[in-house]
Amino acid sequence: MKKILALILALAMVLCLGSVAFAAEEEADVSGLKVGIFWYAFSDAFLSTVRASLNEQLEEAGIAYDDFDGNNTQATQLEQVQTAVTNGYNVLVVNLVTSGSADAAEQIIQAAGDVPVIFFNRAVEGDGEEHTVLDAHDNIAFIGTDAPEAGHMQGKMIGDFLVENYDDVDLNGDGAISYAMFMGDAANVEAIYRTQYGVEDANAVLAENDKPELVYFNESNTDKYQLDPNGAWSSAAANEFMSTNLAEYSEANGNMIELVIANNDDMAIGAISALQSAGYNMGDGESTKIPVFGVDATQVAQDAIAADQMTGTVKQDNVGMAAAITGTLKGIAGDATMADAVAAVAESDDMFSVAEGFANKLFVAYAPFTGAAE
Amino acid sequence: MNGYFKRKAEEYRALDGADRRRYWTDGLLNNALYILMAVFIIFTAVVNRNFLSASSISNIVTLAAASLPMALGIGGCIVLTGTDLSGGRVFGLTAAMAAAFLQNRAATKLIFEHLPNTSGGWILAVLLIVMLVGAAIGLVNGFFVAKFSLHPFIVTLATQLITYGVILMFFQINGNGGGPISNVAQQFKDMVSGPAIRIASKNVSIPWYVVYAFILVGVMWFVWNKTTFGKNMFAVGSNAEAARVSGVNVFKTTVLVHTLAGALYGFAGYVEAARLGSITAATGLNNECDAIAACVIGGVSFVGGTGNIGGIVVGVFVLRIIFVALNMLGINPNLQFIIKGGIILAACSLDMRKYLARK
Repeated sequence: MKKILALILALAMVLCLGSVAFAAEEEADVSGLKVGIFWYAFSDAFLSTVRASLNEQLEEAGIAYDDFDGNNTQATQLEQVQTAVTNGYNVLVVNLVTSGSADAAEQIIQAAGDVPVIFFNRAVEGDGEEHTVLDAHDNIAFIGTDAPEAGHMQGKMIGDFLVENYDDVDLNGDGAISYAMFMGDAANVEAIYRTQYGVEDANAVLAENDKPELVYFNESNTDKYQLDPNGAWSSAAANEFMSTNLAEYSEANGNMIELVIANNDDMAIGAISALQSAGYNMGDGESTKIPVFGVDATQVAQDAIAADQMTGTVKQDNVGMAAAITGTLKGIAGDATMADAVAAVAESDDMFSVAEGFANKLFVAYAPFTGAAE
Repeated sequence: MNGYFKRKAEEYRALDGADRRRYWTDGLLNNALYILMAVFIIFTAVVNRNFLSASSISNIVTLAAASLPMALGIGGCIVLTGTDLSGGRVFGLTAAMAAAFLQNRAATKLIFEHLPNTSGGWILAVLLIVMLVGAAIGLVNGFFVAKFSLHPFIVTLATQLITYGVILMFFQINGNGGGPISNVAQQFKDMVSGPAIRIASKNVSIPWYVVYAFILVGVMWFVWNKTTFGKNMFAVGSNAEAARVSGVNVFKTTVLVHTLAGALYGFAGYVEAARLGSITAATGLNNECDAIAACVIGGVSFVGGTGNIGGIVVGVFVLRIIFVALNMLGINPNLQFIIKGGIILAACSLDMRKYLARK
């Protein structure tokens, strides 16, 4: 019995190794690559779409790769990286778990040794740590979005929308717009920036047009946001907060929440479900529509916007993100330095740009999405 | 009734000074949770009058109803001195399946392209399917627990991981690439999360799943208290060896308890699909912890063989009341964890105190 089990295990391992080998060949210059891709969590909705695109593009390019799931634990990811290096992976593509932690990134780089590391999506340098990681090593790069950009874009979109529709949005006619804010994760810089700029930039636009600032709906909550307790950016958390809010704040009481801002689309959708239970945002043209804004432009959000249940989101381009990573991988396979590979990718498309003051930091642009014909 | 109080009063009068003091301290400690909750509710209501408004109470009931089925399922496992760590993931898987099976057929992106059109019959059939899937995972849990005498902690930890793997694969079906599963049919939403009662003037809306949850409470009360299976469950929980000697089929009972729990997670997942309208691979993460917490707060003891359905309902409500109250008081979310942890610790200590006193 034991022998059979051992045999099965051995066979399974051989098969796993075999599938890696199969993916390679074709173009001569990339056949030497063995890429390990380390995702912070397979369960993340947006990154899963990046994963699907990236896997497809790498297969097309004939680059051998494997995906690893960090399961939202930095320690797990570090162990996976250490194992991968001993297992002969010669490029690491890392979606850091602890977003914005220079120390965590530094550990990964130490573990990688001579193996080049391409970080993506989740920031490697926090506030005030700029250049500490990316400038210190020449065989690493970062591909991602400019962390504050989505927040800025969301805030501006909200401001513009409010200026256009101020009186419709101000349901109780008190001259101020009361808003609810749903934060995805207290430890994520993107979430922190989105929570901050989503409101600040909207206020800036309102101020330009002589409108009063947004008012958080619940005076006694000095944080001015409601946070997913699991840090999972989940629709369930937003849904439960929103339905609790709606029990207290309503049109009947004259204190209805007039605007919903969420860190991501999943949370926006959760809030919309709660609004719908209370008879809002049904998309039937009769019910009152509370403007709801998210980030990511997931398919679900795009459908909700098309169905007139949601107002706007910020598009993060999964295909573009994957293309940038694939392009950089091809570049370094052709013996270019990391900086040259990044520069070449930046030149290939308008949506990519090298971050100011950096040689190895590539930004993939966000774009506002309101469903209107572009 | 009058006679009862008279008798109690006479008993009390017969006590001497020290016994009288013990009578009061015991009474206070044994009901400390309820007393604390009452104080907490009154405090919240004084600070924020909206807390006890009709719309707020209906919201608390609605939130509680969403987490009731899960707690009712896991309660049985705890009565057997076990636990079930796979609950949250089973919940996530069945929620994803329900959402995928009941997508709006007109949607642009479908997980399964060849499915019957949405109809009342199909909506019920999906409920049956997801409950069977949940039951099947529960069956596996129960089988390994009973057959190999493995601790449920280990078995359900394993099935939790396995189920999560299946969830991740499920989200890759038909080029979905891990994105959320959404666009559930309106008819499904109407039947599950649509309002059963709506009083627009009071801003009150009670969805259908509240009704279903309370029917479920009734059914589970019957199962626990009035059936041989229920009695066997408590017998096995108190002392498996004694139960075996007195002719209870311990294997069958253990398997059935876990299977029933799985079916209830399936029910909970089904409701979640309608309630949220968007399910991701992370749906259900840590849900079993809340369900376990609700059970132990409600007096279902890990000692085994003790607990009742009423207690579980109370436990679920306590957690939801805390959630809503802390929000309405505008208290920092970090504190919510500390308060929740404190309550679980206090409730369990008081519970054990009762048990030790009986011994």
